[in-house]
Amino acid sequence: MPSQPPLPPLLAPYVSTLPDSSLTLISSILGATSNWLVLRFLYAALSSASPNAAFGLDELQNGAKKKVVLVSFMRSYDFWKTEAKRLGLDLTRLADKKQFAFVDGLSELFYAPAATATPASVSPAGMGSSPRTTLPMRSPPGAVPGRSPQPVRPTATAVRGNLAKPAESGIAKKLHFTGRGLASLDALEADISSVIEQQKSSMEDGDELLLIIDQPDLLLAATSPSMGIGATEMAEWITGLQQRAHATVLTLATDAPLIHNASTMSGQLATPIETEHAALAIGLAHRARSVMQLRTLDTGAAKDVSGVLRISRGGGMITEEDNLEEREALYFIQRDGGVKVFGRGES
Amino acid sequence: MSFRKRNIGLSPGVDRNAVPNATAQPVPESTPGIRPSPDDGRPTTSTGTRSLDNLLAGHAGLPMGKLLLIEENGTTDFAGALLRYYAAEGVVQEQKVHVIGVPEQWGRSLPGLIGSAESLDEKRSDRRKDDRMKIAWRYERLGEFGAVAGSRGAPTTPGEQDAAAKEAPAFCHAFDLTKRLTHPSITNMSFIPIVPSKDSPFPAILKRLETAITSSAADTIHRIVIPSLLNPTMYPPDACQPANVLQFFHALKALMSAHTTRVTAMITMPLSLYPRSSGLVRWIELLSDGVLELCPFPHSADAMATSGAATSQEEPPQGMLKTHRLPVLHERGGGSDQNVGQDWAFILSRRRFEIKPFSLPPAEGDTEAQDASAAGGMPKKSDLDF
Amino acid sequence: MAPVNLSHRRTHNLLLISKLLSLRDTASPLTLVLDSLEQPATPLLKEYIRRAKLSKVHVTLIAFETLKQPEGVDAFISTRRKSTADIAKEVNAAYQPAAASNPSRRRLILIDSINPLLNSKRVEPGFHLPSFLGSFIAPTSASAKVDASLVVTYHQDVPEAPQPNPYTPSPISVLTYLATSIMTLHSFSHVLAQKAARDRSLAPPVFGLEEEQEGILLSRLDRLAGTGTAEGIVIELEHRRKSGRGVLEWYLLPPASRYSPQHLKEVVTLLDDNVLYNPPMEQDTAAGDEEPTSTFELGLTDRQRREREGVVLPYFDAQHGDGPGEGGRILYDMGEEDDFDEEEDEI
Repeated sequence: MPSQPPLPPLLAPYVSTLPDSSLTLISSILGATSNWLVLRFLYAALSSASPNAAFGLDELQNGAKKKVVLVSFMRSYDFWKTEAKRLGLDLTRLADKKQFAFVDGLSELFYAPAATATPASVSPAGMGSSPRTTLPMRSPPGAVPGRSPQPVRPTATAVRGNLAKPAESGIAKKLHFTGRGLASLDALEADISSVIEQQKSSMEDGDELLLIIDQPDLLLAATSPSMGIGATEMAEWITGLQQRAHATVLTLATDAPLIHNASTMSGQLATPIETEHAALAIGLAHRARSVMQLRTLDTGAAKDVSGVLRISRGGGMITEEDNLEEREALYFIQRDGGVKVFGRGES
Repeated sequence: MSFRKRNIGLSPGVDRNAVPNATAQPVPESTPGIRPSPDDGRPTTSTGTRSLDNLLAGHAGLPMGKLLLIEENGTTDFAGALLRYYAAEGVVQEQKVHVIGVPEQWGRSLPGLIGSAESLDEKRSDRRKDDRMKIAWRYERLGEFGAVAGSRGAPTTPGEQDAAAKEAPAFCHAFDLTKRLTHPSITNMSFIPIVPSKDSPFPAILKRLETAITSSAADTIHRIVIPSLLNPTMYPPDACQPANVLQFFHALKALMSAHTTRVTAMITMPLSLYPRSSGLVRWIELLSDGVLELCPFPHSADAMATSGAATSQEEPPQGMLKTHRLPVLHERGGGSDQNVGQDWAFILSRRRFEIKPFSLPPAEGDTEAQDASAAGGMPKKSDLDF
Repeated sequence: MAPVNLSHRRTHNLLLISKLLSLRDTASPLTLVLDSLEQPATPLLKEYIRRAKLSKVHVTLIAFETLKQPEGVDAFISTRRKSTADIAKEVNAAYQPAAASNPSRRRLILIDSINPLLNSKRVEPGFHLPSFLGSFIAPTSASAKVDASLVVTYHQDVPEAPQPNPYTPSPISVLTYLATSIMTLHSFSHVLAQKAARDRSLAPPVFGLEEEQEGILLSRLDRLAGTGTAEGIVIELEHRRKSGRGVLEWYLLPPASRYSPQHLKEVVTLLDDNVLYNPPMEQDTAAGDEEPTSTFELGLTDRQRREREGVVLPYFDAQHGDGPGEGGRILYDMGEEDDFDEEEDEI
């Protein structure tokens, strides 16, 4: 099988031109994950070579550089670095050039290893607080401002002696979920915003900042409505970040139990995690400019097809005339990481 | 594509030869029980069940840093057997095994060591040689999980291979469920109890795991074993709150990705208490690197006879195994694996947990089809192409 | 349906929708728009804004999910992290009818999505939806005597959080009860597909979330098989008149690209008048007195018709022959023009 171009031609118009203040939603399920598609967005924004001469439409990008802030809640920096390298992107170098910043929402989000965090922050609040306390909304407000501006990086690299150090160098910030309720969301937002602002400080006119948030729905799932975090609060949190970026790409899980259990037709009583997740995912689809839906083949697995990608227009209000063509295509991820995107019946 | 290659491919001696060819990655080569994946060279370790190793998307083992979730329907405990093999393999390979939530008796019930999985396989393949010769050659390829691994290190003759097997430490061992494991390092296992508390029990567990991993020597390999997660007899009722269990999974994932070359984990979960159709379980699955589901057949003798015994010589399968997500493969997008989409059946016998392609028994009198299905599964089209 | 009835309906109901969309005579103080991912309300809201601009009505958008102020909106009120009381205060402050530059005393208040408010974990315990909505329509201060129309969008597919008090009616029931008009939106192509299925007595197809297929949020594709270029929104209107009587009608709003933004005449049509929905051939059979045109004279005079009816065809008698062999006889009455030869011919 011949090696594929890093950006499949069929996909290129959808990942490379994102209008101002647009929201793109990538939905994935257990058997059809979205990481490869996120990587194509990264590639489209960051690859130094002008995005393929084949698309003449891209003259907008002459000179205008794109910057990316990637917030990942499910994958480590190592994963993104390795996979991006397969596409010829050196994230560490791009981070040094201030074109790319990675915000780590995995390694210390709910549990800060004792070695890295100061003793004060390993309070019970930092380690998965229980929702069954009597006073749910009383978080000490003082904890939040003390938490957010704290530079995590020096301590982290100093202590993790046995880890490969280069892995740390590209991480702009590690997120910590402390306290409960809205205050903790605010702290996360402040952390991410500070990275975005840092990136923006070196931007020239016409530069665009792309914000990619990988699975923010985890935050919703791993907290609980009794902590004061529901779909509305999460959506507002996303709005707050969206306002700072040129365009936003989100990935969300849309597995059947998380979407359909909550619908009135299913007849059973939905658990809060299902109701809130469905409200968030569907609510965001109403706001999105486009929704890229990944799923497995309806007819069962096949050797040369990984899944189906359906691109639909979301419910979002787009001011100018936007010609996003809806379509459905199959994709196949080769062992070398190359991706083939093709219509049904083609190969 | 002959049956011999299977043995060659999975022997440790050959894989040592394969190391220079694999993509460069810092593999602790001297560590026993670790070998590079034939697919992309990342370090893997054995689950203690050879056919499970072979199922894992061409890596012929569980890649380091990955978490495997095994779910089981019904009241049987096949997943528990898999977990015991996994723990026993860790003990034999002198890795540090952390068992969560069960008393130390659990460690004493680990299955006894018989030898390396290769040696057991050789005996079996000798015994089966005659059967195999009858099978049409074009079906031979089916059901050979080791094919990928085998193709790497082809140039060895059986003689060399035997010699290599003697000198090199085995990657995967065979165990006997009726015996008890006696191994000097069995006392090295650590049992982390669930401390009954009003709050979530998980932060305490994480803290102990974290200290154990960071305080150990840099070349110590750890295995985290969590039997029957969220079982109400072991866990407090609040543990199944998403805020508790999902934060635990996320933190565990974080811990494993921080020490990505030194830790693996296997977790079992009872589906009869927490069905797959619930949002909570789906999130647990989404947070795991690999998800397997065991669906045991109802164990009546009648059902056995009709539910997929291929031939009279073979043991009837005891259930179906579904692969919902495989480590590394699905992280990168899924698809493209020969094992994806197959129907698998499993057989637990005294000496092994075997996973093989599932096939419905052929219609009566259809002897030709019967022969075909003996080799396993309905052939896919591409396998029949000449 | 009799043609007279239809034309009567057409006149009345088109006038009604025109009044509703152009906010004349405060026909509907509270309009509830029920949309879904399959047919979002954004085109309808844009049409509201367009008409409001034409008639110089002041437009306020209360944004629960819109990020940026859309074109044509005079006051944009973001609701992020605001209490409902603050929102109400801001909305009322946004419009000063006394201003000389603003001769109009009408205002339009749009809520882009009420769901986040209903699902919010943060709303004050005393929050009362009817009085919140009522505060916009009937401001408390005496000076502000304006005709305000409130258009509230509700996403039907976003699940509702369970009520804290199980005995209170659900928010959507409250909304539908309060609203003077309810507009349920459907995608035209879906309506056509469902009608086509009904006409063949097949089960109507379902789309998007209702398919309950894993990984699918949206089904909207540009070219839905078999519907051609069916564009536009189908509005199912349920309106409560001041007299208390109800009106139910289906309309079609064509896509905005089909007419200029300054277009004054009514663009909405009845769904029944659409050629795709009601193909015109039915009209032909209904119109009885017109003949199909042809070069042949196919008509008959009365006499010709009488004679034609009098003819007894030969096989009529042949059918009740009794004896064996009787059945097949040909009965023929000799006419004068028959040249019968006794010797040669036989019957």
